[in-house]
Amino acid sequence: MAAPRAGFGLPTRVLHWVMAFGILGTFALGAYVARMEVGLGNLWLFGLHKTIGAVLLALAMARIVWHGIAPPPGPLPGPPEWQMTLARAAHRALYALMLGVPVSGWARASASGLDVVIFGRLTLPAIAPASPAVEDALALLHRGLAWGFLAVILLHVAGALKRAIGARDGTLRRMLRG
Amino acid sequence: MRRRTFLTTLSAAAGVLCTAPAIAAARHYSLDTTQSTVGFETDFGPDKITGSMPVIRADLAIDFRNLAASSVSVALDATAARASFPFAAQALKGPRVLDAATYPSVTFESRAVRREGDEAGIDGLLTIRGVTRPATLHAAIYRQAGTDPGDLSRLTIHLTGALRRSDFGATGWSDLVGDEVRIRIVARIAQVA
Repeated sequence: MAAPRAGFGLPTRVLHWVMAFGILGTFALGAYVARMEVGLGNLWLFGLHKTIGAVLLALAMARIVWHGIAPPPGPLPGPPEWQMTLARAAHRALYALMLGVPVSGWARASASGLDVVIFGRLTLPAIAPASPAVEDALALLHRGLAWGFLAVILLHVAGALKRAIGARDGTLRRMLRG
Repeated sequence: MRRRTFLTTLSAAAGVLCTAPAIAAARHYSLDTTQSTVGFETDFGPDKITGSMPVIRADLAIDFRNLAASSVSVALDATAARASFPFAAQALKGPRVLDAATYPSVTFESRAVRREGDEAGIDGLLTIRGVTRPATLHAAIYRQAGTDPGDLSRLTIHLTGALRRSDFGATGWSDLVGDEVRIRIVARIAQVA
């Protein structure tokens, strides 16, 4: 067993940044498709949102498995205890939402009674009963979780920037360069 | 404008042929289902969704001398409804629109047929999702290519009409898909009796 590393390995960093951009991108796409006038020309955007969401769900599971194989290093010391506790809670919430947001979206799409198709051809199994009431409830849940996700991401980014710009302690650098 | 005068021609032809008593009675026709389409169209944002439904059964009787004695009874197969893209077909047949699993057919039974200039108006009862409402179709009769004027043995009828799907409880995706459904039927018929 190698000595615990202070930095993040390449797979962890790639997963972190690919998912970061994917999550923010699909959040913006989701907010857009929820408001656009739907027609034949933009129907594919729903499929794109579902496809990215499904990929992000798979990546989130891969990431959790990867952390089991290669545990990430603990936080660099420095901030007061309440900030460390807040950061830990934020990380737990981020992982929960990496699973919860796409699963709620998948369930919401299932409740429409229509096939949940990703990559334009792959039909996912339905994970919720087809019912307008269930669909409305899950749509509310998906939207609420997505906005909650954005809030926790902003908290996470604020913490990272605080340590990068305020403390200059290498917290952000190790996620960028290892 | 062949159609504009065709019903008039038919009436005249029927009048001429009327010396034979059998002609005065309604003629019965069978529908050539392979050459006929029951199509519909509705609004989808800036676009249209189009589709069709196969005919299970069609009983047609046309009395050219006395249109009021004509009648139409049609049943459509909702379970085999088609639409212009896969999601629309699935949504159409699903529980929020036609609910084809519970109500496998759509039917139309005429109650009154009247002449409207060169066309005919057909008032009838339309049943969708088990809900029956009055509906009116407008019919224009054409002769088929290759038939002689006055030949009533093979005809093409264009039927048009519109319905509000919410009247039948078919309210699914009303935020995305229009309420008015426009019906366009091309019926190619052949006389059987």
